[in-house]
Amino acid sequence: MSQSSAMQGRFWSFDRAWPWLLPMVAMLLVFTVYPLLYNIWLSFHEYAPLKRRLVYVGFENWQTLFADARMWASLGVTLFYFVVVLIIQLVLGMALALLLDSDDPGMGFLRGVLTLTLVVPPAITGMMFLLMEDPEFGVLSWFLEQIGLLTSSTPILATPATALWGVVLADVWQWTPFMVLIFLAGLRSLPPEPYEAATLDGASAMQIFRRITLPLMNKVIAVAVLIRGIDLFRMFDYVFVMTSGGPGTTTYTLSLYAWQQTFSFIKWGYGATISLLALVIILVIANLFIYIAKVRW
Amino acid sequence: MVRSKSQRMVRMILAWIVVGLFFFPLYYWMTVAFKEGREIFDIPPRVFNFTPTMKNFEEVFGISFGFGFGEQREVLPGGGNWYMTPRLLDSIIIAVGSTALAIAISTFASYALSRMDFRGRHHFVGWVLSTRMMPPVAVAIPMFFMFRDFGLMDTHFGIILIHALMNLPLAVLLLKSFFDDIPREIDESAIIDGASRFLIFRRVVFPMAKGGIAATAVLCFIFSWTEFLFVLTLTQTGLKTVPVVASTFVTSTGTAWGNMAALGTAAMIPAFIFILLVQKQLVRGLTLGSLKQ
Repeated sequence: MSQSSAMQGRFWSFDRAWPWLLPMVAMLLVFTVYPLLYNIWLSFHEYAPLKRRLVYVGFENWQTLFADARMWASLGVTLFYFVVVLIIQLVLGMALALLLDSDDPGMGFLRGVLTLTLVVPPAITGMMFLLMEDPEFGVLSWFLEQIGLLTSSTPILATPATALWGVVLADVWQWTPFMVLIFLAGLRSLPPEPYEAATLDGASAMQIFRRITLPLMNKVIAVAVLIRGIDLFRMFDYVFVMTSGGPGTTTYTLSLYAWQQTFSFIKWGYGATISLLALVIILVIANLFIYIAKVRW
Repeated sequence: MVRSKSQRMVRMILAWIVVGLFFFPLYYWMTVAFKEGREIFDIPPRVFNFTPTMKNFEEVFGISFGFGFGEQREVLPGGGNWYMTPRLLDSIIIAVGSTALAIAISTFASYALSRMDFRGRHHFVGWVLSTRMMPPVAVAIPMFFMFRDFGLMDTHFGIILIHALMNLPLAVLLLKSFFDDIPREIDESAIIDGASRFLIFRRVVFPMAKGGIAATAVLCFIFSWTEFLFVLTLTQTGLKTVPVVASTFVTSTGTAWGNMAALGTAAMIPAFIFILLVQKQLVRGLTLGSLKQ
């Protein structure tokens, strides 16, 4: 019946869907489709400092892109960060969710405390960890030196081998609670019957987790991976405030590299080209994931 | 599952320790906000044994609190009166404005996506979702030029637009899920009684979804409040939100850690209050409406 009611009536009518959607469509067209087209146009141009204007350069930016070792390095960093942080947050998030899935007194309070990390501005999180990882007076550096994991000659964020892990730590701190909350909601909505049956059959806790909990949590895990994965791939704030990409190229993400090329080095066309690459990769990965994991909205 | 008492105790202690570890960075950051210069740099770091002072807050906001744990300061270095207070106002204007705009646009769109059957509805939802995937940098670069050409650079209005856009996928998908919770039969029987779609929206669906709309608004506010890249790129000198201005405290001559921590702490408090208000809808919000608690 709704089908027909949406079709009936005058063109200018709230019985039709389009007047309801118009403001959103206008907004999305102006602020996403137009920028996308502009980016594509920009990727065929470059700012010429001497002429003080954009000049047409053909496919030069795209050729540079695929021959640019720094671009490949930052793509590598982005993918590494994406995979490593996602795995850590999944495993740690599931472990904490299982730990906090209880009605004992105080557990609700602890779950509430855990949500606080989610609303700290990521740029401020970056500075919190910058302070704690400071080689001279950082509380984390000091602690790691005390237990002998670090020497005073290896500043965490200025040593190529450890810099990215310093950033990973900030991300894990801020967003593992995201996974915990989602998994907790999933765990709490599981039906009790399979567990009762499994306990009667004498299944071990590990067997129950692997054979019952994980399969039942499929959808929840898929949604968490999708949303977290998108944000991990386009991560910018932490590296911008903590390391600016250094030392060397060890903490350059694609987003940061595109931003710096555009606004620090005034390579407008090339920056747009890199950001387009990032856009295409994330759209392909995310939509493929939605298709394979059958995530529905 | 039946668990023994000692197992429950172990589990409880472990839970407190783990959550304590997660809380520690926040706690330590707040202690820095209340520390006087030298104490921030002491080795071993001062975690509990410091002398609290309001000096950093007084410097950052240019007001003398008077109750500063026993000491009064007269000279306020930094940038003069109300030093960072206008930046806090910028943040509030932008967060409130963009939330209002995003909610206004998305309640209409979500109603149609939830209630009406039209061709391509599924694609609409997919399109909204994929705008959420765009890396902010890919939007910020063209926006920089567009803002420059249209005089939107450094204006509250410009940032409000861009933050509303950023929150649109969240708001549309989340509100759609709240509208989906309201049975369609209500609409359909009202239509049979001769009510128009708009009347149903205003008198029936909107009032019933009020709680969901409020929760969505709170999340939009928080995401605008904490956003960094767009404000960094699309403002120059006229306005700045708190996260961006805090990052400018890192300078080549040293970082004003105490001031930065004070500003950061002040900026976290509204977000903390808000997040505690929406605990019940939080999972649904964070998953863009796809999981219900």
